[in-house]
Amino acid sequence: MTATWKLEFPYRRSVGPVIGAFLTGLRDRKVVGVRTTGGHVLVPPFEYDPDTGDAVGDMVDVGSSGVIVHAAWVVEPLRTHPLDRPFAWALVRLDGADTPLLHALDCGSADRAGPGTRVRIRWAAETTGHLSDIECFELET
Amino acid sequence: MDPVQFMSHHTAVEYKIPEPSLLTIHFGEELAKGRIIGHKCPQCGKVYMPPRGYCPLCVVETTEANEVEVSNAGTITTFSVITPLQYQGQEETEDYVQATLLLDGADTTIMVMRMDGIAIADVRMGMRVRAVFPTAGGGAASNSQLIARGMGLGDAVDHWEPTGEPDLTREQIAEHIL
Repeated sequence: MTATWKLEFPYRRSVGPVIGAFLTGLRDRKVVGVRTTGGHVLVPPFEYDPDTGDAVGDMVDVGSSGVIVHAAWVVEPLRTHPLDRPFAWALVRLDGADTPLLHALDCGSADRAGPGTRVRIRWAAETTGHLSDIECFELET
Repeated sequence: MDPVQFMSHHTAVEYKIPEPSLLTIHFGEELAKGRIIGHKCPQCGKVYMPPRGYCPLCVVETTEANEVEVSNAGTITTFSVITPLQYQGQEETEDYVQATLLLDGADTTIMVMRMDGIAIADVRMGMRVRAVFPTAGGGAASNSQLIARGMGLGDAVDHWEPTGEPDLTREQIAEHIL
């Protein structure tokens, strides 16, 4: 005799002007970063420059393709993971960005997820203004 | 379309509670019959309700031989009035009271007992109350599960009613207030 208990926390967060612009961009199937006073482009954008603490400048569009910086292979995906088959968690530096974005990479096997590999965003069929609007990354070729 | 201003973030923890022990099942079965039982420590004489199978103070085992019946009447030692916020999934709409009770004949309290049968304004520390069991004897289905989680008497008690006896004083219940 056992019982299943489920504890749920349905949060609704306000996202602010910077993350809000990023999420609005995703809804329109484009990636938006932010330029720091030092000229770096942060993707995903921060509200402050993590190096100096200064306020950031304008939002800038970056590409939807980029290069793998690091990746970690997931042999057995968990129920809450974005993909139901083995995949990589990849840090991808998008074209025009100076910092990497973490997301799932659907590439079939670990040996295809090496640093330097070109990948592109596979957009979700329906976008809502959430990080899951990026379904995952996929190999560019 | 308006810029995105909010993000939903849904977190859930799903888990199975362990199988109740034989002692918990026995307690639940007796409770369904309207009998509240405890174990009396053979060394210090403290009565634990629900029974734990041991006395943590004396570090001795207690068994069926140490079983005693506890009264269905007791004292509210402390309580909270809960005003339910209407968050998503909230099922409560009205204020209600959750009390900690010290049943007569027991040395341990039971927590989170709802005092739905008593007007909120009348609930007070030291108040004497009595359990009213459901007439049709039912309600035992989920008892073991609730009791196994340390949730007092589960839903075995239909409601609590004032006994009309004089309140106990703060001094008399002082050791049983959290």
